[in-house]
Amino acid sequence: MPIENPFQDPLRFERQTPECVIVIFGANGDLTKRKLLPALYRLAFDRRLAAGFAIVGISRTPLSDDDFREKMRASVEQFSEDTKLDDDVWAAFARGLYYVSGDIGDAGLYQRLGERLGQIESERHTGGNALFYLSTQPSQYAPIAHGIGAAGLGKGSGWRRLVVEKPFGHDLASARELSDRLHEVFDEAAVYRIDHYLGKETVQNILAFRFGNGIFEPLWNRRYVDHVQITGAESIGVEGRGAYYQEAGALDDMIQNHLLQVMATIAMEPCASFQATSVRDERSKLLRSIRPMTPDEVRQNAVAGQYGPARIGGTDVPGFRQEAGVGPNSRTGTYAAVTFFVDNWRWAGVPFYVRTGKRLAKRVSEIAIQFNTAPLHLFNQDSGEISANLLILRIQPEEGISLKFLSKRPGSGMTLRPVSMDFNYGSSFGERSPSAYETLLLDAIVGDPTLYTRQDMVEASWSVVEPIQNAWREGTPEFPNYAAGSWGPAAADEMLARRGHVWRKP
Amino acid sequence: MSTTVAPESILKELAALWTQEGKQGDAGVLRACSMTLIVIAEADDDAAALGETIAALMPQHPARSILIRLLGERERALSHRVYQQCWKPFGQRQQICCEQIEITASDPALADLPSVILPLAVPDLPVILWCRSARLVRRPEFGEIARMATKVVIDSAADGVTSADAIDAIRRMADAVRTGGIFADLAWTRLTRWRETLARVFENRDTLARLSEVRSVQVRFGPGYETAAWYLAAWSANALASVGQVVTPVVGRQDESLCLELSGGMFHVKLSRQDDRLVTVVNEQTNCTNLPRPADYHMMREELGIVRRDAVFEATLASATRLAVSSSG
Repeated sequence: MPIENPFQDPLRFERQTPECVIVIFGANGDLTKRKLLPALYRLAFDRRLAAGFAIVGISRTPLSDDDFREKMRASVEQFSEDTKLDDDVWAAFARGLYYVSGDIGDAGLYQRLGERLGQIESERHTGGNALFYLSTQPSQYAPIAHGIGAAGLGKGSGWRRLVVEKPFGHDLASARELSDRLHEVFDEAAVYRIDHYLGKETVQNILAFRFGNGIFEPLWNRRYVDHVQITGAESIGVEGRGAYYQEAGALDDMIQNHLLQVMATIAMEPCASFQATSVRDERSKLLRSIRPMTPDEVRQNAVAGQYGPARIGGTDVPGFRQEAGVGPNSRTGTYAAVTFFVDNWRWAGVPFYVRTGKRLAKRVSEIAIQFNTAPLHLFNQDSGEISANLLILRIQPEEGISLKFLSKRPGSGMTLRPVSMDFNYGSSFGERSPSAYETLLLDAIVGDPTLYTRQDMVEASWSVVEPIQNAWREGTPEFPNYAAGSWGPAAADEMLARRGHVWRKP
Repeated sequence: MSTTVAPESILKELAALWTQEGKQGDAGVLRACSMTLIVIAEADDDAAALGETIAALMPQHPARSILIRLLGERERALSHRVYQQCWKPFGQRQQICCEQIEITASDPALADLPSVILPLAVPDLPVILWCRSARLVRRPEFGEIARMATKVVIDSAADGVTSADAIDAIRRMADAVRTGGIFADLAWTRLTRWRETLARVFENRDTLARLSEVRSVQVRFGPGYETAAWYLAAWSANALASVGQVVTPVVGRQDESLCLELSGGMFHVKLSRQDDRLVTVVNEQTNCTNLPRPADYHMMREELGIVRRDAVFEATLASATRLAVSSSG
């Protein structure tokens, strides 16, 4: 039996990463330039990568290794938000950058890749470990996996893993089909479906907050929680992604993956351990407990929206249908709000309001848990209304936790006023938080899939979203139905009003 | 000079500072606190450098810091001042502030320090004592202050510490750890990068497979590296023992710095410092990495991140003490 390294000291040492090569398909794409390379460079800067670490970029454009290195250097300089490029660190990092050009449908590409991997393995002692990162159009996932398998690159002397970006299919059937195609080459355990929301420090902090503290979990149920609001709002429009966005829409682009994963993290049962399987089992169980809707229920509990033109801060902003690449009669939703119910003992009857949209009033992602009001109202309140306690978990832009409660207004008399107790994650700890991609890439390299989405979770999400897709497809939406810069369509407010609730304006 | 300090008045001054801050800033201030950090330093310790170190630690480990400056053998003196350490995180309007208390005490007033410090510790949060004075560690007052602390950090290899003092310090620490205290020694913290580098060598499967060939552990040290040498030797031997390799380490002197060698048969690993570089040799392969001497800030940042028992250090401390005591005669 192989022995463990006896010199390891996890209390003090950074997590050790094995030697490996990351093969990025779509190496000239936006994601590679804006996110992947800056994240990998930052990991190198922080000495988190093994000395023999290497990257092979793959794309159609013919480039030499040196051309690729120059391009990536420019990307890192442009898109590293808080890391200045250090010449010495870059020189060492760039020595491990390689490039192979070719068409993903061409078997010769994979042969050349295999030869290059063999050469890198002998030069940099990567131990045969390889992570294939598909940063391409989703329609290319299956052909690339097939190409890797056909060339015999899906197996090797070390481990082989595959990272895929969302969307994982566009409905339940296509998600299953995609998984089946990937599984022809890679076992499910080797498939890492990346959801960058789960890599955010604050989303991970939800687990710490819920399960590291004893005070909140007893309140975390239908007896004390009135309702939950989950918001993923963006102030920008489709920003040149009109063609892609027209195919996806807000429901598929945000709710099916990011926001349902956040909801699962908020509502899941405590897991027995912080092992990947335990955490993912509980998330999956929660997703499977969300009640799928009938077409009638969709009409009551889901609202689609599309933004129209408006003037924001003195600037004219186009409507979605006026964006480049978008048809003038597009029926794509840029806003979606859904009321979900979880059919389990903890949450039965508690509405989970989930909303997302483009061109909303501000960029904010947060979870607001509204607790039941006090059973008796003994005091006057400044606002004249009864304020409920709110616990707000902010994911972006300023990660933190706030608790809203009532306090006596200074002076004579007994008048209460809501006050907020704030914990600001970034400033209470002045230390820089790693970006979501740094966290998730490192996890994939060390083989920790806790924050990655498993096939059963993807399928459970589609099972919940698909009835909404179907119902919306049959209807004729009256788009546009909200002005850019607002908080979404009036119908979404009415959806909450039916249960006596109002959306927060975060 | 004042000869008494009332903790109640210090607490009132702290409260007044917060009220004042609240009135001044239109964006408000956030109070951040995750621990009480007590720093004890001699009066001739570089005040500016120490102040910068404490200030730099605050963003990562926001704390109420209590700096105690020791005036030495002179007439009784005990005084205090209170101030805040504030910073504005990049791109944010709100200031973050931490409380700082400075207490000055001469030796005749040392016995009063515990009763002053006790009410000043922030309730329900850990208390970390960083004692930079080797002289105080040997005084009876130190024990009482140390007992208030969740964790005590000393430096057995600080400038001016003699070989005998170093052995005495680690022997005392080992005794205190045996009775339940949590201690850290910056001489051990300085070795983290060395140890991490050695661990990395054995992350390679082929190298790990050759671990069973190791028959000898040798550590050579120059002036100032004595405790580091014992720690390194004890830690290496303990790690090897955990996989069934029983090796008696040999510790000897050399002209300068530190060097660790693991060898046996045709297998040889050597780590040595050359100026600001750590040179690693595994058989014929040599690797060189940057290894600047860690500043107090880096070491304290590491130690403040570990407010619990450190099993590896405690086992090493026990073994290193045995090695050091036996080698000293």
